[in-house]
Amino acid sequence: MIGYIFRRVLAVIPVITIVAVFVFLLLRLTPGDPAAIIAGDAATPAQLEKIRTSLGLNDPLPVQFATWVGHLFQGDLGISLISNTSVSSMIADRIWPTINIAIMTIILSVVLAVPMGVLAAWRHRTWADYAVMSFSVLGFSVPVFVIGYIFIQVFSIELRWLPVQGYTAPSQDFGKFLSKAILPCLTLATIYVALIARMTRASMLEVLGEDFVRTARAKGVSETVVLFRHALQNAAVPILTIIGTGFALLISGVVVTESVFNIPGIGRLTVDAILARDYPVIQAMILLTSALYVFINLLIDVSYSLIDPRIRY
Amino acid sequence: MKFSTKSFDGVPPVLSIENLTVGLTGNPAAKPVLNGISFQIRAGETLCLVGESGSGKSVTSLAAMGLLPKSALEVTGGRILLQDRNLLDLSSRQMRDMRARHLSMVFQEPMTALNPVMRVGQQIEEVINTHTRLSQKDRQKKVLDIMEQVHLPDVERIYRSYPHQLSGGQRQRIMIAMALILEPQLLIADEPTTALDVTTQRQILSLISELQAKHGTAVLFITHDMGVVAEIADTVQVMKHGELVEQAPVETLLRHPQMDYTRKLLQAVPSLTPRPARETAAAASALTVQGLRKVYGASGWLVNREPTNAARDVSFEIPRGRTLGIVGESGSGKSTVARCIMRLIDPTEGSVKVGDLEIATLGRAALRPHRRHIQIVFQDPFRSLNPRWTVGRSLVEGPLNCGQDKQVAMAKARELLALVGLPADAIDRYPHQFSGGQRQRIAIARAIAMEPDVLVADEAVSALDVSVQDQVLKLLDELQQKLGIAILFITHDLRVAAQICDEVVVMQKGRIVEHDTAANVLGNPKHPYTKALIDAAPGRDWDFANFRELKAASA
Repeated sequence: MIGYIFRRVLAVIPVITIVAVFVFLLLRLTPGDPAAIIAGDAATPAQLEKIRTSLGLNDPLPVQFATWVGHLFQGDLGISLISNTSVSSMIADRIWPTINIAIMTIILSVVLAVPMGVLAAWRHRTWADYAVMSFSVLGFSVPVFVIGYIFIQVFSIELRWLPVQGYTAPSQDFGKFLSKAILPCLTLATIYVALIARMTRASMLEVLGEDFVRTARAKGVSETVVLFRHALQNAAVPILTIIGTGFALLISGVVVTESVFNIPGIGRLTVDAILARDYPVIQAMILLTSALYVFINLLIDVSYSLIDPRIRY
Repeated sequence: MKFSTKSFDGVPPVLSIENLTVGLTGNPAAKPVLNGISFQIRAGETLCLVGESGSGKSVTSLAAMGLLPKSALEVTGGRILLQDRNLLDLSSRQMRDMRARHLSMVFQEPMTALNPVMRVGQQIEEVINTHTRLSQKDRQKKVLDIMEQVHLPDVERIYRSYPHQLSGGQRQRIMIAMALILEPQLLIADEPTTALDVTTQRQILSLISELQAKHGTAVLFITHDMGVVAEIADTVQVMKHGELVEQAPVETLLRHPQMDYTRKLLQAVPSLTPRPARETAAAASALTVQGLRKVYGASGWLVNREPTNAARDVSFEIPRGRTLGIVGESGSGKSTVARCIMRLIDPTEGSVKVGDLEIATLGRAALRPHRRHIQIVFQDPFRSLNPRWTVGRSLVEGPLNCGQDKQVAMAKARELLALVGLPADAIDRYPHQFSGGQRQRIAIARAIAMEPDVLVADEAVSALDVSVQDQVLKLLDELQQKLGIAILFITHDLRVAAQICDEVVVMQKGRIVEHDTAANVLGNPKHPYTKALIDAAPGRDWDFANFRELKAASA
C-alpha cells in the first residue's frame, strides 16, 4: 500500500514538470516581445527594458526556466503587474473563500445526489426513477448564472430569507457564512447533483444485476443493507471519479458564481487578471489549477484501492 | 456404478410445490414460463432437477426463494409449501426471515456470487447478524466452526480474506458455509459445480452430501450434467419448456427412462469411450508447435513480482484433417497456448508453424495476410458476435479485409450458412435472434469463411446444452471431412474430448504431462494427473446413451 502510494506520487512529477514547462513557455513563446505585451501599447522603451530585466528576459531560455522554477520552489510566483504585490500573497488572500465554497458544494452535491441515484436505480423504471432523471436533465441544461439569478430572485428578493450576495469567513461567523454561502453552493451544486446522481444510478443499476446482490438477498438481509452495504461500495469507483473531477472543475469553474454572488475568491481574481492581462497572476492560476487536478486525481486513485481490495497496482 | 438406494417412504416432505405456474409480469396472455409444476422433497433427500437451458429449472428455484425478478416474472398460481407453510402467502419481510434460516441457496458462479469488497468471514457472519442475536464472540466461533465443517484450510486466515484471494472451490465452500450456517431444512443448489474443475467438483459434491447427511437437509439440486445426477441424486425430475416430463428414482430413470425426451437427453450425453480411431494421417502437418513458452508478469521498475510460466515447453503437431485436443483444468495453460498460436498474445519463445510458415516471430503487419490461415471459435457465442451487426456483416468482415469482392463474399456467406445448417435468411438477422447453438454455428461459419488451414476451438461447445453440443460436434466433424481442416480443440470436458479428438494432450500448470492417441490417454492413462482427471469425471462408469453400465458394453 505504502509502496503503491509512493509510486503514484512519483508519477506526479513528470506531469507537473510538463505543466510547468508549458506555463513557462506560455509567456515566452507568445508572438512578439512578452515585455511589450505586458507593458501594453503606450509603453516607453525605458519601461520595456525595465520589464525585460525584471522578468530576466535577456538571459538564455534554459537559464530563465531554471530561475523561474527556483523561485517556484520558494513559493515565489512573481509580482503582479497591476497591483505590484506578490502573486502568492494575492492567491493566499483569495483561495479560502473558493475552497470553502467548493467543499460545501461538493458535500451538498454528494448528500443529495447519491441517495437520489440509489433510489432511481432501486426503483428502476418507476416514477421515482423518472423524477430523478428529469431533474438531472434539467440540472444539466439550465446555465449556472440563470439558476443563480433565479435563486436570488426567489430566496433573497421575494422571500427575503437570505442575503443577496457577499461572503463572510466561517472562522469569523459560521452562521453568517452559511446564510451567505448556501445560495452559491446550491447554484453550483445543481449540475454536480445532476452528474453524480446519473453516475450513481448507472453504476448501481449495473451492480444490482450482479450475482452477489442476489446472494445477499438470498441471505435474507433487508433491502437497505443490500443497497447501501453491498451494492453502493461496489458501485463507488465511478461515482468517486465523478466527485473528484467535479471538485477540481469546481475550483477552476467558480468564475461565474463568484461574479454573480460577489465572492472575493480566486475565480474573480482570475477574471480580473485576464481582463487586466496580469500575466504572472494568470500563470500562477494555471499552475495552481493543474496542480490541484493532479493532486485530486492522486487522491482518487489512492481511495480506489481503499474501497476495492482487488485494486492493488 | 453405485446409485443411491435410500428409501424415503414415510418421511415427511420438507418442500411441496403444488401446481406452480409462473408467467411474464403483466402479460397473462403469454405462454407461462412454468406450467403447473408439482413435486415434493423429503428430509434428507436429494432431488435433481435436470433439463436443458430454458426449461425452467432456475425459475423454479428462484420462485421457491421468493427471488424472481419482479419486473420480469411473477407467480400466477399454485402453492409452495415449506413444512406446511405456504411461502407465497408471506409478506416480503416474513419471506426475508425465512431465507437462510429455513431455506437457503448456493449459486452457480462462485467467482461472482460473493461480494468482492467484503471479507468472506464478514459475509458469513452477516447471515447470523441478520437472523439471530448472538454476542460477537459466539458469532465468530460459529463462523469458524462452519468454515471448519466445509473443510476450509487455515480458517483464521480465510476468515479475513477477500473473495479474489481464494480459489473457485474455496469460494464455493464459503457459499455453502453461508447457506448452511443456520441449518436450514432446505438447501437449493443451482448448478453449484458447473463452473468448477472436475476434481474440485467432486470435492464439493461429496461435501454437500456429507453435510446433508449430518444435518438431515433436503436438497434441491439443479444441474444439466447427467454425470452429476448419477453421482448424487436420490430422485430425478426431468423438465422441458416449463413442464415436468418424468420423475423417478435415479437408477430407474437412468436404466429405464419412460419418456422420449428423457431418452433423447440421455442419449446426447457424450460417452467417455473414445471415438473409433481413424487411420493415421499421412498428410502434411498443418500446425507445428515447438517449445512454446509464455511468461507473464516479469518484474519491472519498482515492481517486484514472481513471473508466472503460463505455458512452457509445449510442443505438438496436427496433420491436415485431424483433431488434437488439449485438456486440463483452469489455469493449466490451455487457453494461453491457443492464444499464442492465434498470436492474440505473443509467445515468449518457441515456434508456431502453420504449414511451413513460421508465425511466432512475425511482426504485426507481416502477420496480417497470414491470419486467415488460422481461425478461432470462442466459448461464449452470446458474447463473441457483435450484437449490432447482422450475421452477414460478421461473416464477410474477414474476407473483405483480405481483399475479397463484397458480392462474392456475400454469396459465399450464404453458402456457408447452408453448410452449417442455418436458413438462408439468417444473413440479414442479428445474433440475438438466434439460440446459443445457432450462434455457435454462425461463429463457426465466420471462422470457416476465411478458408483456414487450422481451426482453433477454445471451449467451443462448453456453453451449450448436451443435445446442441452433440450437433455442433457433428458439424465440426463434417466440415473437417469436407474441407480437410486441422482442428485444435481445447476443452476441460473429457467426454467431449473423447468424441472428437484423434490425439489428446493433457496439460497441468503450463506443461504437457501426457500426449498420446485419444484411446490411450482416456483408456490407459499413464500420468497420475490424467488418472485423477478421469477418476473425477462424474458418472464415468455409466453408459448414459445405452442406459447401462459401461462394463456391460465392453463385455
